[in-house]
Amino acid sequence: MTSPSTGPGPQAAARLDTAYAAETPEGIALSLSPAGPLARQLAYLVDTLVRLALFIACMIAAGILGAMGPVVAFISIFAIEWIYPIVFELGMGGATPGKRALGLQVVMDSGLPVTPAASITRNLLRAADFLPALYAFGAMSMLCRRDFKRLGDLAAGTLVIHARRVRLHTELPPATPLAPARKLSLREQAAIVSWAGRASTLTEERLEELAALADPAVPAAARSGSHPAAALLGVARWLLGHREGGAP
Amino acid sequence: MTPVRFEAEYAPLWLELEAALDRIERGPVPTAFGKAAPATGPAGVDAARMTALYRRCCEQLSLAQERAYPIVLTQRLQTLTQRAHQLIYRRRDYGSGRLKRLALVDLPQCVRLHRRYLLAAILLFLVPALLAGWAAYRDPSFALRLIDARELESFRQMYSNGPDEIGRHRGAPGDWAGFGFYIMHNISLGFQCFAGGIFAGLGSVFFLVFNGLFSGVLAGYLTQYGYASNFYPFVITHSAFELTAICLSGAAGLRIGRALIAPGRRTRVESLRRAAAEAVVLVYGVFALLVVAAALEAFWSAAPWIAASVKYAAGACAWALVIAYLSWQGRPGPPSVPVGAKAGDAG
Repeated sequence: MTSPSTGPGPQAAARLDTAYAAETPEGIALSLSPAGPLARQLAYLVDTLVRLALFIACMIAAGILGAMGPVVAFISIFAIEWIYPIVFELGMGGATPGKRALGLQVVMDSGLPVTPAASITRNLLRAADFLPALYAFGAMSMLCRRDFKRLGDLAAGTLVIHARRVRLHTELPPATPLAPARKLSLREQAAIVSWAGRASTLTEERLEELAALADPAVPAAARSGSHPAAALLGVARWLLGHREGGAP
Repeated sequence: MTPVRFEAEYAPLWLELEAALDRIERGPVPTAFGKAAPATGPAGVDAARMTALYRRCCEQLSLAQERAYPIVLTQRLQTLTQRAHQLIYRRRDYGSGRLKRLALVDLPQCVRLHRRYLLAAILLFLVPALLAGWAAYRDPSFALRLIDARELESFRQMYSNGPDEIGRHRGAPGDWAGFGFYIMHNISLGFQCFAGGIFAGLGSVFFLVFNGLFSGVLAGYLTQYGYASNFYPFVITHSAFELTAICLSGAAGLRIGRALIAPGRRTRVESLRRAAAEAVVLVYGVFALLVVAAALEAFWSAAPWIAASVKYAAGACAWALVIAYLSWQGRPGPPSVPVGAKAGDAG
């Protein structure tokens, strides 16, 4: 979820959301949304089931193989415990089957794809995160941080993010452009334009309620009392550069 | 400039970049396991043009954010730049060449870079081992303080003179099962020894001291019982790899522990990250050494038909090989070697 991009204002320091900004060499900030403990726990649960299925398949194979069975069994236990997450994170777009099912992805905290060394590090340190029981240290570390890194993520410099972006904002709905009542500051303009971008995802009542707050921006002639949204949408379109008659 | 004009003016660039990204992303997926696409223009895309487009989009994103343009617009640019960033900065130097370099240069260099940590790990293992061995040799009941009586008895049987192979639980399945078990058990132990280092190094210290005590007591106890002629030929060869691996994983753990305790001028997290990036190279070595150790322990050490003298000779060679590899392999020769050959860039 992206907060209104009003530039580096004072409110950027104390944001409520957990958006994580990864700066690139070009000087832009990639906005990543770190995945919280619940989503990761569910992903782990799915992975546990997949691992269990793999384990059972390997044990059946070991049973069929007879004399060579035990070596297959031991090595598959080792591989399922340690190698499984590494192989999937490196080979399958940074996600184990569980993470994929939950729409999560492991990336470097620079926003780049996870490197082999980092994936190995974070998955070896799983052993430390697990301690003293049931990923207690990992959970503690995640809950203490805004970017939800467990110990392994801290050491490897990785981040588990929601791969799919939530889209709350859409194109502005059509409305007749309407010049605002007075000159608006950049923040006021941004607020009105973001509000208009949410027009299709908010309920009508909420849209009207919010629009009422911005009534002073609407020219007195256009105010319509109980339904201020229509006029404010016109102001938003005007702010984007639309003008009556079509020529921007 | 209004947002509408901005979009009208630059949208063709965005569409061009989008099309290029689509083509590359739909092309052969370059994974971390090699299969590197050619450096110049994967999927027939002009790389120079793409980077130019990417930089333009970065500028436009900054402008759009600064001017508080609609969020749909900035999000579109963000998605675009993020995709391009992932493709442009993706590392492609993985594969067999990288692995060869790791084994021949980076790993031994990394071990030498960590020689102080390695020394500390060796001492943490060796001193308890010698003390416990001496104590168990003098007084066999000392062994009972550390090892359960029944377990001790099974060890005693393993190395006694019997019709079966040495170093095996009686009735255990054959060599291959042993190999599988050593892989699972020993490598897990090595990994845990490294991971324990994140608790200010204490986990690694525990693993080192515990394994030192255990090995020492066992050796002292068995020697005292007169099984030396069975025990030492058994362990001499694979211990070259196994003990080295334990000490290496301990050293890697101590490295990240120290990074947390004494981060220097960096933050603790940054210090940990850097230390882990270097120490993890040691863990690759731990893995390789323990695979070799498991194979030797299963197929060579336990074989009863190999004379003890042969095993001693092979063991001496193994130790010499491991020490020589870690001490001299990958040292830059006076001319011809590029300056970039440092262990630090093994990330």
